[in-house]
Amino acid sequence: MVKYNPFNLILLVLSSLVLMFILAPLAGMFIHTGGTELLETVNDKEVQSSIWLTLWVSFSATFLFAFGGIPLAWLLARRNFPLKSLVQGIIDLPIVLPHTAAGIAILGFISRDGFLGKTADIFGLSLINNPAGIALAMAFVSIPFLINSARDGFAAVPERLEKAALSLGASHSKVFFSISLPLAWRSIMTGFIMMFARGMSEFGAVVIVAYHPMIAPVLIYERFSSFGLKYARPASVLFIIIALGVFILLRLISVRKKEINLIPDAET
Amino acid sequence: MLRLNNIFKKLGDFTLSDININISAGEYYVLLGRSGSGKTQLLELIAGLNEADSGEVWLDNENITNKKIQERNIGLVFQDYAIFPNMTVFGNIAYSLHCRKLDKKSVNQKVNDVAGELNISHLLNRYTQNLSGGELQRVALARTLITSPKLLLLDEPLASIDASLKDGIKRTFRQLNRKGITIVHVTHDYREAVSLATRIGVIHNGHIIQEGTPEMVFKKPVNKFVARYAGIKNFFRVKFFIDRGSWKAQCDGKLVFNLVNDDYPSEGLLILRSDAISIHNGEPVKENYNYFRGVIKEILPSEAGMEVMVDAGEIFFIDISQDDFKKLNIREMSDVWISFPAEAGIVLEGSI
Repeated sequence: MVKYNPFNLILLVLSSLVLMFILAPLAGMFIHTGGTELLETVNDKEVQSSIWLTLWVSFSATFLFAFGGIPLAWLLARRNFPLKSLVQGIIDLPIVLPHTAAGIAILGFISRDGFLGKTADIFGLSLINNPAGIALAMAFVSIPFLINSARDGFAAVPERLEKAALSLGASHSKVFFSISLPLAWRSIMTGFIMMFARGMSEFGAVVIVAYHPMIAPVLIYERFSSFGLKYARPASVLFIIIALGVFILLRLISVRKKEINLIPDAET
Repeated sequence: MLRLNNIFKKLGDFTLSDININISAGEYYVLLGRSGSGKTQLLELIAGLNEADSGEVWLDNENITNKKIQERNIGLVFQDYAIFPNMTVFGNIAYSLHCRKLDKKSVNQKVNDVAGELNISHLLNRYTQNLSGGELQRVALARTLITSPKLLLLDEPLASIDASLKDGIKRTFRQLNRKGITIVHVTHDYREAVSLATRIGVIHNGHIIQEGTPEMVFKKPVNKFVARYAGIKNFFRVKFFIDRGSWKAQCDGKLVFNLVNDDYPSEGLLILRSDAISIHNGEPVKENYNYFRGVIKEILPSEAGMEVMVDAGEIFFIDISQDDFKKLNIREMSDVWISFPAEAGIVLEGSI
């Protein structure tokens, strides 16, 4: 029970203000969106395909990049190598870059003059204005969330469990798949969800790489700039509802796994 | 069986050096040392989890220094057991068999056999979160023994177990040793070493400072560190001299002890085990004994019964049983006599 002394009161007021700051605009948007408008938007084929595109492209980007990101996270948690801090800094770089600048960088990389663009061109594929380009832009800005969370998860797995598995005759890959990965699973899933959510909400980098096909944030911006606030609101509300639904669903799936308390390694 | 030749390993500021150990098949070797003495590092080096900077590890006349950990056939039971929390007891025990891709029938058979041997058959389908320390220890042992290791390494195996369960686990270790399994057991507890070891190696600051049978190590410690480790509290800085043909030792406090004739340095440290000294209400008259009059300063309960601190010109710590304590009817500030045989004094050489 919190006691009502002046300090607690100040904490309460300040905390409430911050929460209000987050909730008030969202609540205002929901209140100002009528049921009829929302229903019309739900049935709008353009909105439907845009939200679907956002979801599957972000999920695919997260899923594919997890194959490289998770092993990298394990390396960062378990191995010491030259320039490790630099590697860690590079991983965090997309978080601090302005996202439009990230979009420009990606565009240079995937345009016909860039390395990836040239390679894709050989197969008759253009990455600009293509879901593959969107996926790359989403992954670029969101992959730090997966790597950092997975790295923390691997670091929390006591090394003695991995050593015990090795001493029982397991190969390094067997140890990774039977001990490290299952025990870091929660953190990996949290990172996965964060990367997916961050990719889904990306606008700045994506709009430079691909205005079309339109992902939901670009569609909302387009409706706002062409028709105004009233017209952009229902699409925003719908996208938020669906994003929240997916977020909650993934969270529920990931926490269904039994919680395991990991006792850290004793100091010797 | 196991031979360590001139092992050297630098770990940050800490160094394991000049480690030479030779363990015969069937021995129960206890590596005794405080935390930070390097005993766990040495064990991990034998198991193959770490590599030595120089030196060799030989097992059954085979140089295994550079052999992969998976191929060494050495079983290691970790401190706090290192049980895999994402598997059942069965999954833990069967882990090494799954690594060797044994068929399901053989796995079941082997797991049931070893679980029966260690009385944990009833736990096989349980997850490990709610098991007691003793149960976890047995699971860890079963998981290691199922690999039929040539050598069993135990890292502080009794450190996290309730006192009431320790005897049962010790019995299991003794039985395994009697069956012919060579054991290297690491501990910081000298009582554990005395009760289990056929041979003890005392490790301090990365060096083996004494090796021998428990009797030898605790009755004739090579230095003050080992003596303190063995629970000895009576240390006297003395000068040795001959008086009328008999060796004697004089303390700084001028108390003079009679010694058995031997070769002594001019000065050194004389130590007395607390249980080698007796307390009397009257003056004891015994030949070849030392006896002094003193005052009891403090009486504290101890593992042996009572620890009595007597000031007889020097401070003596004496262990007596509860029965003797009752018979003597002594209390703090009582006047008493203390005695100990002339051969009870252990002389430590060097300046220490």
